[in-house]
Amino acid sequence: MSEHATTQSPKTSQGFLDKHHFLLRRLHSLSGIVPVGLFVCMHLFTNFQLAPALVGKANTFQHEVEFIHSLPALVIIEVSLWLGIGFHAALGLVYTFTGKANVKCYSYMDNVRYTLQRVTGILALIFIFLHIATLRWRWNLGGWFTPFFVEGPDGTPLVAATTAHALQGSALVLTLYIVGVFSVVYHWANGLWTAAITWGLTVSVQAQKRWGYVCLALGLVLAIFSAGAIGGALRYPISEKETAAYKASVEHYKQTGEIFHGGGHTPATIETTSPDQ
Amino acid sequence: MIAKNPDSQNSVHFKIKRQDGPDKPAYWQTFDVPYKPNLNVISCLQAIAANPTTSEGQETTVVVWDCNCLEEVCGACTMVINGTARQSCSALIDQMREQGFGSRENPIVLEPMTKFPVVRDLWVDRSRMFKQLLRLKAWVPIDGTHKLGAGPKESPEMQDERYQLSRCMTCGCCLEACPQYLKDNHFIGANAIGQTLYFNEHETGKNLQGERLDVMMEPGGISDCGNAQNCVKVCPKEVPLTLAIAKVGRQVTVHAIKKFFMGK
Repeated sequence: MSEHATTQSPKTSQGFLDKHHFLLRRLHSLSGIVPVGLFVCMHLFTNFQLAPALVGKANTFQHEVEFIHSLPALVIIEVSLWLGIGFHAALGLVYTFTGKANVKCYSYMDNVRYTLQRVTGILALIFIFLHIATLRWRWNLGGWFTPFFVEGPDGTPLVAATTAHALQGSALVLTLYIVGVFSVVYHWANGLWTAAITWGLTVSVQAQKRWGYVCLALGLVLAIFSAGAIGGALRYPISEKETAAYKASVEHYKQTGEIFHGGGHTPATIETTSPDQ
Repeated sequence: MIAKNPDSQNSVHFKIKRQDGPDKPAYWQTFDVPYKPNLNVISCLQAIAANPTTSEGQETTVVVWDCNCLEEVCGACTMVINGTARQSCSALIDQMREQGFGSRENPIVLEPMTKFPVVRDLWVDRSRMFKQLLRLKAWVPIDGTHKLGAGPKESPEMQDERYQLSRCMTCGCCLEACPQYLKDNHFIGANAIGQTLYFNEHETGKNLQGERLDVMMEPGGISDCGNAQNCVKVCPKEVPLTLAIAKVGRQVTVHAIKKFFMGK
């Protein structure tokens, strides 16, 4: 009588997901906060260093990026992030299709919020994939190739110019970045709000409301950071020297597969962290 | 007063989704019911049963529906009225006419709930909910052959919270409105999570807390909740379902950590 009264037997293809159902669900929630969400905060804050270009001032974006590239064993951080994002995205996709949106009949704001969380998740996944694949892995997707360079062969700083080049060059890329970045910000802020319910941190209606204001504030700050960065990249004046250095870097990359970065002006791939190699 | 057309004024118009049996196709029929003050959807369905003739004057079968208490405490007459799940006994025609429903152009639309199998017409089989309550051991274990003595004391605050949870009548509105609860998935649903908290917070009922939380951790358990929070908004008994979801979420978190470090 007390056997499982589930209406159907679980599908065998979902065996793994069902066996570790609870653990995977909670790891999915956790992975959205650490490492992915935390990284998004840092990334968007770094991007905000581009904002001074909005008012025609010099930016510190170059310095920030050089600092990140100088971190020891950066590849470990990178791979952990890729795995974290991949795990969160793969499970998120599965979970998205366990539900069926019904905002048409039940048009409450919370229901819209629920639906948007799933829509922005998928938009963010598409954006993040294209962002990493082109800028970091330097895939040439249908000619949409924006190799990211820290410096030119002569040591010209290229971080801001490369970003500006990518966003100023194509309305499609700009649209993708605007939609993608704001999807990420919404997904992160709303996810932080629902995670607090999932883990049982915010219990009462009032507590959920208070935590909602905190998440809203975080989301607004990240949105301002993002708007500042995109605006800065759009207003950034690319000099002739930078254009020349950029072209030389592209040529060098095509021939050797290496980029110039960081202080010593030594050509090296990011993976090669030791100067001896 | 509402419309000049005497026909519109003197009858209430219904559009009803019919289905002759569990595996039969659904179809729509319209009915006109003579207006009287203080009608509700049930009394209109009774009038249709007394004279099962469509608006076109065609004789048809009686529209079947489920009901019992007629005072919004049993949950049996729940159906989708004008797109929203609610009880047909407390769906008052005068109120709906004020909102502009019931005319020929904008009839009152009755459909069976979509998350449960249809038995016939507006009558659905809600047994999945009752099976889940069995699975959760939604009771206080006091059976035995020996005298148990006086029960434990309960604080007024806890009484107040548990009273609100006790109002659940397993009608299914929360599940009908839930984007995560589907006819063909395993999600246990908001009402079952509410009852889990109700019995876990009972001083004797909490003896079975671990077993209930184990069920909550299984596939279809509490983690399938997507926090759309429609449940609490459609609940006719104002059961604090989102509070229950968050509290049981916390109980499950603690339970899982305890099991990780101390379980076998």
